[in-house]
Formats: sequence, structure tokens, C-alpha cells
Amino acid sequence: MANETYLNKKGLTVKDLVTTGIFSALLWLTMLIGGLPLAPNPVTTFYMPLSSALLGGPVFLLMVAKVPKRGPIFIAGTLAAIIWFVTGMHWAMDLGYFLGGLIGECLAGLKRYRSVRVNIVSYICLSLGCTGSYLCYFADPVSWSSYMLNGGTAADYINTMNATAQSWMPVVIIAGTITVAAFSGWVGSKLLKKQFEKAGITA
Amino acid sequence: MTKHRGLRFDPRAKLLLLVLCALCATMAPSLTYELGLVLLTAALGLICGQWRYALMGLLFYAVIFGLTEAALAGSSTTLKTTLIAFLGLFHKVYPCGFLAGIVIATTKVSEFLTAMRQIRVPNTITIPMAVMLRYLPAVREDWRLIQDAMRLRDVPLHLKGLVTQPVMTVECLYVPMMMSASRTADELSIASVTRGIENPADRTCLTRIQLGLRDVLAIVCFTAYFAAGRFL
Repeated sequence: MANETYLNKKGLTVKDLVTTGIFSALLWLTMLIGGLPLAPNPVTTFYMPLSSALLGGPVFLLMVAKVPKRGPIFIAGTLAAIIWFVTGMHWAMDLGYFLGGLIGECLAGLKRYRSVRVNIVSYICLSLGCTGSYLCYFADPVSWSSYMLNGGTAADYINTMNATAQSWMPVVIIAGTITVAAFSGWVGSKLLKKQFEKAGITA
Repeated sequence: MTKHRGLRFDPRAKLLLLVLCALCATMAPSLTYELGLVLLTAALGLICGQWRYALMGLLFYAVIFGLTEAALAGSSTTLKTTLIAFLGLFHKVYPCGFLAGIVIATTKVSEFLTAMRQIRVPNTITIPMAVMLRYLPAVREDWRLIQDAMRLRDVPLHLKGLVTQPVMTVECLYVPMMMSASRTADELSIASVTRGIENPADRTCLTRIQLGLRDVLAIVCFTAYFAAGRFL
């Protein structure tokens, strides 16, 4: 029995951890499947955070409903960050998922993980993590690409970079991600109510 | 045990190399420097015995490198801006992704977990991570079964079905997927508890995990390259 106590300290049992792991895997897959169609295309690559937020809502909400304790959201964010990092994604995106998980955890914790609406907000926070690398780009687009020009930066290039349509894009990316994640969460909450709560698989 | 071609590196050293590679790629002063980084990574791949992967990766990068040079030389400004933004992202991500491929191909999950344990990552992270890595391949199998079941019930599984019957399609996908996930979670936690996952003693691993001279050398190489990019 002494062994049991060391994992129970923070209230998470082995079962909770395993559940978190399995739903993190599904959540990560939804990000991957959602993001894949847009990521490799030069024009649509910037809207990748939108599509990668589209599928995860139901998975996220069921995870929180199954383990309504301190930890799973943060763990899911951290795991996503680690896996994305190990698969070689940009560091700002990894950091974004880590922070998104942390903030989402704190928010959902305010209502003790029972309020579906706050849980959806928490999912939005996690989804915004994906925008990290793009925000990093928009924060300083010139130096982002200047290394490619070997010092001799063309004037017209800098001008187009600074002046044209680029300035509205981060707003669209963030607002779009929030909208898509909220929609995904809304679908998730409907599913949760209609199917999973009846089936009795939520905690 | 299968015999492994090439040198084996410590998983911790590989993680550190990934961090160094990310730093190099983020702060790269020039495109030539990026090329050097990819070359260095390819050399590491060769040492690890990943011949095919290293050569293919290098070749692919060479093609993109040529394309980038061509795009920079081109005159159309809008096309250039879009392409450069995208290629900028690509060049930042590619070296890390390339190295990550080598790391993933040469590291076993059990080794990785032992290494995570050795750098004092808490159980609350390592256990879900072990489960996650174990469960990812199982999802594909579930997916096939769900597809079969949907065909049996005459629920179409393509874009058209998603547009004409969105609710039905979404329910038919998510509900069985998540039901089976939550059942697997129960089974897996019972299995892992009986196999002693709660044992507070140190985890053991059949492969010896130890930082050796080769790991130090590899880390020194990448650190030196990073420093060279900063100060030269």
C-alpha cells in the first residue's frame, strides 16, 4: 500500500495518467490530421493553426470530463510540445503548446473542470499554441528571412514585407483559430451531452 | 537482439543535439550556414548507420536550396514574397526535422523513457508519454474497424457525406473512436498496474544507457558549430 501513495500525492491515479496519455495521443493525431492538408502549401501554410484546431474539441472535452482533476490539460499540452519538438517542429510552436496547456489548465481549474464553457475556452488556449511559430515570423518578418539573402537584402523585398497585406494576417490567424476551436468545442459539448454522458463514461 | 549498424548515441545526448540544432537553425546568419548544418546532420546520420535516409535527406535539401536561390534571383515581387516567407519557415524547420528523423529511427521507446527518467522528468509526464507512444499505432487499427463498420451501416465516409450528413458522419467517427479509447484506457491501466508501473524503484532497461565519449564529441561538434554561427 505504501507504493500507492506516491502517485496519489497530487490526486492523479495511474488510471488518470493512462487516460490522459491515450486522449493526448488522440488529441495530437487530430492536430496532425487537421494540419497536414494546409501545412506543405506556401499560401495556406499560415492558416495551419485553424485547421489543426478543427478536430480536437470533442477529444479534449471528453478527456477533461473523464479526468476532472488538476493536471491532464497541462500534461496534454506538454506532451504535444515534446512530441512536436522531437519531430523537429519550430521551437516557438512547441513553447506555444506548453504555455497553452499551462494557461488552459489554470482557466479550467477556476471552475474545477466542471464548466463546459470554460473547458472550451481552455481548449482555445491550447489550440492557440500552434500559432507560436507564425507569430514569431510576423513579429519580425525581415530578420526571419534576411539570412536567406546573405546580407544583401533587396529593398523591394523589405518594402513588400513591411507594407503589403501581411499586417492583417496575424489577426486573421488568431481570430480564426479562436473561432474554429470554439466551434470544435461546441460540437464536442453536443457530442458529450448526447452520447458520452448517457453512456456513463465520463467521471 | 538485432544487431545495429553504426554507432549508438545516448538518448539524452540526442535530445541535447536537437536543442542545439533548433538553436542553430533559429539564429542561422546565412543560407550557407543552414546548408552546413544540414551537412553536419547528414554526417551524424551516416555515423548512426542511416545511410539511405541521410543521403536522401541531403539530396532533397539540395533541391530546395537550389529552388530558394532561384526564387531569390527571380524578379516577380509578390511571388517572391510568398515563396520567401514559406521557404523561410521551411529552412528553419528542415534541419531539426531531418535530425529528428535520425533520432526517431535510432531510438527505441524504452530507451527514450529510461532517458526521460534519468533526467528526472516526473512520472506524471513519463507514464502518459509511454501510453501515448504505445497507443498511437493502435489508433490506425481502430480506424480501419470503424471504416468497416460505417460501410456496413451505409454511412458514406468521404467529403460528400461530411457535407450532406455532417452530424451523422461526425458521430459515427468520434463516438466509436472515443469509446474504444476510453475502454483501452481502463484495460491498459489495469495491465500496467499489475505489471508494477507504480513501483517506486528505479526503472531498468536492457540496453545500457550511458553518456560516452562519442556523445560528448557529437555535442561538442554541434556546440562548436553553433558558436561559429554566433561569433564568426
